[in-house]
Amino acid sequence: MATAQQPAAPTVSRGVQPLRAAQGNTFLFRKLHSLLGVVPIGAFLLEHLLSNFEALKGPAAYGAQVKFLNSLPMVRILEWTFIFLPILYHGLYGVWIWLRGKSNLVYYPWAGNWMYTAQRYTGLIAILYIGQHVLRQRFMGVQLPEHPYAAFAKVQHELANPWMLAVYIVAMVAICWHFSYGIWLFAAKWGITPGATARKRFGYVCAALGIVLVVIGLSSIWAFVGGKYPNVPEDLTPAISQFIAPAHLDCTTKMLSS
Amino acid sequence: MATRTVAFEIKRQASPDAPAVWENFELEWRPGMNVVSAMMEIAANPVTADGRPTTPITYDSNCLEEICGSCAMRINGKARMACSALVDNLRQPIRVEPLSKFPLVRDLQVDRNVLFENLMAVKAWVPVDGTYDLGSGPRVFPQQQEANYPLSNCISCCCCMDVCPQFNELTGFVGAATIAQVKLFNNHPTGKVFKEDRLRALAGDGGIQECGFAQNCVDTCPKQIPLTDAISDISRDVLIQKAKDFLRG
Repeated sequence: MATAQQPAAPTVSRGVQPLRAAQGNTFLFRKLHSLLGVVPIGAFLLEHLLSNFEALKGPAAYGAQVKFLNSLPMVRILEWTFIFLPILYHGLYGVWIWLRGKSNLVYYPWAGNWMYTAQRYTGLIAILYIGQHVLRQRFMGVQLPEHPYAAFAKVQHELANPWMLAVYIVAMVAICWHFSYGIWLFAAKWGITPGATARKRFGYVCAALGIVLVVIGLSSIWAFVGGKYPNVPEDLTPAISQFIAPAHLDCTTKMLSS
Repeated sequence: MATRTVAFEIKRQASPDAPAVWENFELEWRPGMNVVSAMMEIAANPVTADGRPTTPITYDSNCLEEICGSCAMRINGKARMACSALVDNLRQPIRVEPLSKFPLVRDLQVDRNVLFENLMAVKAWVPVDGTYDLGSGPRVFPQQQEANYPLSNCISCCCCMDVCPQFNELTGFVGAATIAQVKLFNNHPTGKVFKEDRLRALAGDGGIQECGFAQNCVDTCPKQIPLTDAISDISRDVLIQKAKDFLRG
């Protein structure tokens, strides 16, 4: 058979339009997206992972960290200006970028192309996860700004669900990946690593950073589910405000003194 | 001894709005044969593998030695030059298709005019036209010549654009080739008179910011042009230019 396949529906391509030289604002929007990913979002990610790491020291230390963060001056304004709005913009514009790209990994299964695609999937995981995480941990349930010492129990209850635990682990890896490759991309696309050797070396740095962040992140998750601090009370504030703990909070005092 | 043959599957399309069909061809193997020599044979004797006469195949080619950039097509799915695609190195049947991102003219021939429009949009030339003799140009140091030489190797084949996930009708991305030419002409002591214009042009919609750094361009470039280095350098230059323009008001 010479013509084995039946004719496909004819689609007349008008082709890619030429450069709109010096017109439009996508340069500004794209560079803003790129910059926000590093500062403040990347900086906030580091802060968040380091704060989470306090959980390894126990519920009281974790609560103290939450209290410290919520005691920052103008904390609600900081939160919206440097966390919520940048993440919202970066996430939504990132989805827009993804929708306009045409992945061709099937024809060109090369390393850079894999990372290009992975950056889009990890970004999608990140925005979906962050959406539910902010909703459930920041805006629903016990209000941590008012009750910082309830933080450990709140997270522990969340992670008691094995499905939610799996979501947190997958999202932790995806977000650390997205950030690590993101700063590699930032350096490459802002001309900080303009040579192939520089990009390769910085690639090792970013890979190492990503691994360190994943280890820090997963260790923090382990602090909540590892069994070292079982059944932490809903709110540690009474236990801390009163030097003599009631008998039913005995386990808490033990933890606090450890 | 049976004759050794080479099998081809070629995507045919009589006109831009005609339906695409695949046709199979079988050629006698010859030592050192490449895809473009096979296209020539098929065009000269357009008979399919089952002996049915068909229309002569249409394709672009000229120099046959990877210098003119005409014969870019997708071979076994990948955009590359047909002249340097040796049949002995390819899995058979060899599937040959036109480039995927450019308006089709007929069969394997596509309209790559967008690259030339892009080169014009960034003024990718050295302005020396005038009504009187300008004399000799400024001296170019050997070090600069060596840095520029790889960029000057571009053959305008458009492979870097066809393999780019960002080069499509939605983004209207300019593509790596044009960005590399901006670097070449910005480096040129006379060409740099247009440096700021070129950088501002590349900050327009579809400009350098659309690059996703998938790096397919540099992996696929038949002339090994350091395209990602050019994108990185020119990205920084564009950013600095835009910052200067903003601060100067």
